[in-house]
Amino acid sequence: MESKTLNPKPYGNPYLAGVLLGLALLAAFLVLGTGLGASGGIARLGAFLEGMVAQTHTLSSAYFGKWGEHPLTYYLVFMLTGVFLGGLFSSALSRRILFGIEKGKTASGGLRLSLALSGGILSGFAARLAQGCTSGQALSGNALMLTGSLVFMACLFTGGYMVAYFVRRQWD
Amino acid sequence: MKTFYGLNALNSGEAFFASLVIGFFFGLALERAGFGSSRRISGIFYFTDMAVLKVMFTALIVAMLGLVFFSSVGLLNISTQIHTLKTYYGAFAVGGLIFGFGFAISGWCPGTAMVGLASGKLDALVFLIGAVLGSILFNELFPVIEPLYTWGRSAQTSFNEPGLAFIYQSLGMTKNSFLLLFTAVAVLFFWGAEYVERMKNPEQGGDYFNSPFLRAFCLLLMVTAAALPLLSPQNLGTRVSADISVQKSPESVPSTVRAFMKDVSSAQGHMEPEELADRLLKQDSALMVLDVRPESEYRAFHIRGALNVPLPEVPAFTAKNGESGLIVLYANDMTHPAQARDELFRMGFKKVTILTDGLTGFLERCLKPVSLRSEPVSTETANRIRSWREYFLSFGS
Repeated sequence: MESKTLNPKPYGNPYLAGVLLGLALLAAFLVLGTGLGASGGIARLGAFLEGMVAQTHTLSSAYFGKWGEHPLTYYLVFMLTGVFLGGLFSSALSRRILFGIEKGKTASGGLRLSLALSGGILSGFAARLAQGCTSGQALSGNALMLTGSLVFMACLFTGGYMVAYFVRRQWD
Repeated sequence: MKTFYGLNALNSGEAFFASLVIGFFFGLALERAGFGSSRRISGIFYFTDMAVLKVMFTALIVAMLGLVFFSSVGLLNISTQIHTLKTYYGAFAVGGLIFGFGFAISGWCPGTAMVGLASGKLDALVFLIGAVLGSILFNELFPVIEPLYTWGRSAQTSFNEPGLAFIYQSLGMTKNSFLLLFTAVAVLFFWGAEYVERMKNPEQGGDYFNSPFLRAFCLLLMVTAAALPLLSPQNLGTRVSADISVQKSPESVPSTVRAFMKDVSSAQGHMEPEELADRLLKQDSALMVLDVRPESEYRAFHIRGALNVPLPEVPAFTAKNGESGLIVLYANDMTHPAQARDELFRMGFKKVTILTDGLTGFLERCLKPVSLRSEPVSTETANRIRSWREYFLSFGS
């Protein structure tokens, strides 16, 4: 992924980026009353796609069914769109847009993509089970000092450190 | 301050637009942090790049400080304006563990993958496809795993909501001391993170180890976390919330105005704490005072003479007992009693009133000792407070 010609700017101070993220989170609480969320928008997309394939089945299903015929008409879908646009704006500004697969120099693209896919399936499933992801639970919930969100965050890092060793080759 | 959630307007076009704008800054912050790169994100699991820890804990402290500030000066009511998730220990622990597997395996989470996609990363797109599939999988398996989804609900109750648990309550400490403890832990994490980066990745990591910036930053966080509680209304000497208006010092208000104000407040179905205290002291039999909080809170403390009828049981209780006199509803604040009153109105009960400012107001205005009050109190009022305290604080022990 190294590219001399693009000359991307180095990352800024992570603590100041954290302050910016904290202010976005605070704004979400003060304006929306909900905090930030990302997996909710992705699940809505899932409900929309499943509805395109099997409408009656999806509408009668116990979980997606309660979201109705227009699952995409939901504030987290708009937030996720905003995340994409904000990310695009910032990465374009810092010349960090680079098409390709991010991986280690000797790792194969196939390995990296299959790990990205399986990690995605696990995360998408787990975020529904825990009613949130890194954004909705770990950030928003802990900012509100909710006990369940602290449990989620502790288990998230425990799980991450448990498996990281076995998938390290993708970064070699 | 009213939020879209508090106004029940999260599904409005305005809320969608606000979400888009907030999402834009969310994505911007994530990209600034370098989270458009899965290699950087997963660095936390190999101790080579601890950016995730630094960014997350900084963001958490900033948001916590902001929320504590806005709620302590009375601008934000968390119980009515903020959406809070109940705690399901089992579901969140299992979900967190599986999510952690996915996070470390892929190097992405849903929000950062969106930023990765915007940065052109194919692996982010593949992750997002997986996450959509995982959500559909959850929907398909939901009938089977539903018991897991609601497994291990917390036994705590907050804001009259069973299962809503706050960390500081779970740990048996105050909100302010938890804020300070959390900040201190985060500062230790920051120093630890810089240290291990320096050990593991000496060329690129640990830039801020023992740097003047990090020292000043950590000091600022600690001082703010320690000083913020001093901003609470009690310490400012004034009460910022709704009760500045009517009965601040009844003696100074002309009696006609006072009568008018009283009419207004009774027309809205409110009863001032002073009036309730006096009428209970005189054993007024026309009153039926109902404490609509959960039984555990009632047992901890309640207004003498009040019956405990938890919120869901109020309609049935009132229907059974009929309407003999005036029903006074109270909880810690006014939200739930107001809902119950409206429901009783709809059922046809007209002589229902709620206690202005709830139990909190009653304690503050009737039972707070004269010596602890910031404003001067007339001898007559002091005597009333003394008799109220004798009557309401002496029973039951």
